[in-house]
Amino acid sequence: MPLFAKARSFLRNLFSTPRVEADLDAEVRAHLDLLVDENIRAGMSPTEAKRAARLALGGAEQVKEQVRDQRLGHWLHSILSDARYAFRQLRKNPAFTAVAVLTLALGMGANTAIFSVVDAVLLRHLPYHDPDRLVMVWENNSEHPDPYNTVAPPNFLDWQARSSVFSGMAYLCDQRDNLTGGGDPEEVVVQDVSANFFSVLGVEPFLGSGFTPQNDQKDRDNVVVLSFGLWQRRFAGDRNIIGKSILLNGTSQTVIGVAPQNFRWLVKDGSLTGGRAQIWTPFVFPPSYREHKDVGRFLTVVARLKPDATFEQAQSQMKSIASQLEVEYPDADGHWGVNVVPLPQQVAGELRPALLVLLGAVVFVLLIACANLSGLLLARAASREREIAVRAAIGASPWRIARQLLVESMLLALIGGAAGVVLAVWGTNGLLAASPSNLLDLPSAPLNLRVLTFSIIATFVAGLLFGFLPSYLSAHSHISQTLREAGRGTSSARRTAVIRNAFVIAQLSLALVLLAGSGLLIRSFIRLVAVDPGFLPNNLLTFKVSLPRTSYGTDPLRLEFFQQLLAKIAATPGVRSVTMESVPPFSGLGSATAVHLLGRPATSLADLPVANVRVVGSDYFSTMGIPLRSGRFFNQQELREERHVTIVNQAFVDAYLQGVEPLGQKAAIYMKSLAESEIQPSEIIGVVGDVHQMGLDSAPDPTVYWPHPELVMSGMTILVRTSGDPQALLPAIRSELHQLDAELPLAGVATMDQLLADSISRSRFTMLLLAIFAAFALLLAAVGIYGLVAYSVAQRTQELGVRVAMGAQTGDILRLVLKQGARLILFGAALGLLAALALSRVMASLLFSVRAIDPLTMAAVPIFLALVALLACYIPARRATKVDPLVALRYE
Amino acid sequence: MSSEPATLLQGTLDLLILKSLAVGEMHGLGISRRIEQITGGTFIVKPGSLFPALHRMEDEGWISSFWGDSENNRRAKYYRLTKPGRRQLDAETKRWCRISLAIARVLEAS
Repeated sequence: MPLFAKARSFLRNLFSTPRVEADLDAEVRAHLDLLVDENIRAGMSPTEAKRAARLALGGAEQVKEQVRDQRLGHWLHSILSDARYAFRQLRKNPAFTAVAVLTLALGMGANTAIFSVVDAVLLRHLPYHDPDRLVMVWENNSEHPDPYNTVAPPNFLDWQARSSVFSGMAYLCDQRDNLTGGGDPEEVVVQDVSANFFSVLGVEPFLGSGFTPQNDQKDRDNVVVLSFGLWQRRFAGDRNIIGKSILLNGTSQTVIGVAPQNFRWLVKDGSLTGGRAQIWTPFVFPPSYREHKDVGRFLTVVARLKPDATFEQAQSQMKSIASQLEVEYPDADGHWGVNVVPLPQQVAGELRPALLVLLGAVVFVLLIACANLSGLLLARAASREREIAVRAAIGASPWRIARQLLVESMLLALIGGAAGVVLAVWGTNGLLAASPSNLLDLPSAPLNLRVLTFSIIATFVAGLLFGFLPSYLSAHSHISQTLREAGRGTSSARRTAVIRNAFVIAQLSLALVLLAGSGLLIRSFIRLVAVDPGFLPNNLLTFKVSLPRTSYGTDPLRLEFFQQLLAKIAATPGVRSVTMESVPPFSGLGSATAVHLLGRPATSLADLPVANVRVVGSDYFSTMGIPLRSGRFFNQQELREERHVTIVNQAFVDAYLQGVEPLGQKAAIYMKSLAESEIQPSEIIGVVGDVHQMGLDSAPDPTVYWPHPELVMSGMTILVRTSGDPQALLPAIRSELHQLDAELPLAGVATMDQLLADSISRSRFTMLLLAIFAAFALLLAAVGIYGLVAYSVAQRTQELGVRVAMGAQTGDILRLVLKQGARLILFGAALGLLAALALSRVMASLLFSVRAIDPLTMAAVPIFLALVALLACYIPARRATKVDPLVALRYE
Repeated sequence: MSSEPATLLQGTLDLLILKSLAVGEMHGLGISRRIEQITGGTFIVKPGSLFPALHRMEDEGWISSFWGDSENNRRAKYYRLTKPGRRQLDAETKRWCRISLAIARVLEAS
C-alpha cells in the first residue's frame, strides 16, 4: 500500500520532527562508526581512521541536509520552519519590523483607499442604463465663461425637431416645494421633468409606472413619482401608495410610481437647489414656449445617442443646429452656441482636479514607501551578510538560503499587506465620511480589488527586489571573503550604500514635492479664509419659508404674511434683528437677469449687462452688516409698497457705471417681463458693499437689490441676528411661525457660519488630505535618512573611536557625521525643488490667489525639509560623539 | 577508489539499491560496499547520495528500516525490501533491460 505508506511518512516527517531528526543523526553517526571500524580493520591508526572516515562521509551536516531535502513533505516542513525562524528574526528587531510594516501598510492602504474613491467617483457605474451613451446638451454663450449654461425651452423644442442623432432628448429643472398632509410639513426637492425622462435614462420604476406621453399634456400632469427614500421615510414603504394623493404646494397630486432605490440625478451644474430630488413631476411647456422669445434659460438637457450615432456626429450636428438658430433668432439666441458633453465626463469633471492631485500625492507616498522599505531591507541585508555566509559554510544550499530570505520578505509583506488591507478599508470609509458632501456625493465606495492587488504587487516586488536579491547575491558569491572581513564594511556593503544614498535622495525629493503642494494649498486656504465675505456671518440663523400658492395666492397676502412673521420674530427675546432675502449668500444660484440702464443705447437682450437680482426685507443691510457706500437704505414706505427703487452693489457700479454718479440713475430690470415697454424702471437710491454671494473664492457679481414689494416672492430665507447661540432660538422661532400658519415648514435651517464653512469645505478637505500625505512623506523620508546615517555610524564605530583616541572633539565628530547627511539633503532638496517647480502648475486650478510658483512656499519648504532631515541625522550623530574609544578599539 | 567513478544515470541508483537489498537486509555502508563490489568499483555511492535515496525510498514505501546489531556488534540502521519494493524492483529491472537492449542495438547498428 504505497499510498498509505506515503501518507504515513508525510505525516511523520511533518509532525514527529524531533524523533525523525534523532534517528537520522544516529544513523549518520553509526555510519561513521562503521567506516572507522572498516578503516581500523584495514590497518589504520584510530586517529587516522577517524580522519579518513570523516573525509569519506563528506560532512555529517551536509549529508543530513541532503536527506532532509529528499523527505516527503520536506518543502512544507522547511517553509514552516523558515517562517518560524523569520518570525523570530522580525520579533528580535521590533523597530525594523514596525517601520517596515508601517511603511508597507501605509503605502498599500492609503493608495488603495484613495484609488478606490477616485475610481468610484471618476469611473463609477452611473445608475442608468448604458450611461456611456448618454450626453448632456448645454448652451454656452461666447461672451460668458460658463460652458454649462442651462437651456431655453424654445431651443430645446427646435433641437428635438431638427436633430437626428438622438433616440430621445429629455429635460428637467428643479425647485423646492412644500409637501404637506400626513406628518410635519416639509420642503422637498422636486424635479420637473419631461415625460420621457425615465425612459431616456433607461430606468424602470421600482413600483407603478413612469410618466407616459399623455403626461406631457396639460391637465394630465398632476401625477408624481416618489423617490425610494421619501417613500420609505414618509410613507413607510406603503406598497399600496400607487393611486393615492399627496399635497404638493397645496395642490393634490396622484402618486403613479416609486423610483428604484439607487436612482438619482447627479449633475450639479444647472441645478437650482443643488439637492437630490425626492419627487419627480411632469413639466408641460405652455404654448408660449414655442415662440422664440427669451423666456429664460433654465432646462438641464440629457439625451441618448442612437445606437449607430457617434458622439462626434452628435456634436457636429448640434453645433450646426445652434448656428441656424443663432441666425434665425438673433434676439434670443445671439452669441449662443451649444456644448455637448458625455455624461460620465460631466459627472467626473466637477471633481477631477482635486482628485487627480490627491492621486498624484498617493502615488508619491507609495514611491516613498517603496524606497524607504528598500533602503531598510538593503541595510538589513548588508548587516546579515555574515550570518548568511555562516549558514552557507555549515551546509545550507544556495536555494535553501534563497528560500529563507524569500520567506522572510514574504512574511514581512504578508503582515504589512494585512495591515494595509485594514487601513484601506478603514481609509476608504473614513475618506467618504470625512469628505464634505459637495465633494464626494457617494453613500459608499467598494474597495477596489484591482487597485489593492496592484499596490500589494508593487510593494511585494519592492520588498523582494531589495530585501532578497542583495543578500542572496552578496552572501552567496564569496563566503570566505565575507567571513574574513568579519562585519567591517564589506565591499558589497559599500555597493549597497550607494544604492541606499540614491533611495534617500529620492525620498527627500518626493517628500519635498508633496510638501510644496500642501504648502501651496495651505497658503491658498489661509488667503481664502482671510477673504472678507462682505457681511458679518457670526450669530446669524437662516431658514427658508415658502408659501403655497393655494392659500397665499396674491401679493398682498404674501407681503402681509412675511411682515407679520418678521415682526413676531423681532419681538422674540434673544433676537437682535431680523430680515429676509430671496437667496442668501453661499446657498447656490439665485436669479440673474438683463438690466438696461436708461439713457444708454437700446441693444438686443443678449447684449445687455447682466446682474443678480436679490429681493430683501426690512433692515436687510443693517442686519447683515453690509456697509452703505453712498445714498441711503430702503425706507419704510418702499418696504410696504412698490416704489420702483433699487440699491446696487459696488461691483455693479464698477462694471456698468464707471465714472457716472450712480444715484438717481434709472434701470430697467428684466425680471417681471421681457418687453421693456412693460417694465417700470427702478431708480438707484443707494450703493452698498460687495458680498461674495457664490463663495469666498469667486468674485462678487454685479447685483441689484429690490425691496420685497418690487418682486413679491413666495419663498424667502429668513435671516435672524441673535445675541447668543443662534440654534438655541430655533424652538421659539418655530412656534412663532406655526402660530401664524401651522402648515408651513421651516426648511434648510443653518447658521451662516455653517454655510460659510461648507462653502470652503472642499478646499479645506483637499488641503487637509494633502497635508496629511505630506506629513507621512516627511516622516518616511526622515526615517529613511535617519536609518542610513545610524547604520553608517554603527559601521564606522571603530573609525570614530580611532578619531576620538587621536583627539577629535565632539564638534568634529558631529560635523563629520552631519556632513554625510547634509550632502544627501542638499541633493534631495535641489532635485525636489526642480520637480516641485515643474509639477506645481498642475495645482493651479485648486489655488486661490496664490501663484503655482509661489516664491515664499518654494523657499520655505526646502528649508523646512532640510531642518527636519538634519534633525533626523542629528540623533545618530549625537550617538557617534558618545563612542568610547576604548570599547571601539577593542573590536579591532 | 577509482579515479574516474562513473556518474550514475538518473534512476539507476534506486535500481542498484533495490537489487542489493533483494539478497537480504543490509545497513547503509553494507549497501554501498555491495554496489562497489558488484560493479567492480565502477559505481561508488557516497553517503551524500546514498542516505537521501534511502530515505526517499522509505518514504515511498519500497523499503523499510529497523535498528539492529552489525557483524562486530555496532548498532546500525538496517533496510529491507517491502512488497511494493519488490514490485518496484521488477518494474525497474524490466525498464532497465529495455533501455540497455535499445542502446545495445544502437551501438550494433553502425
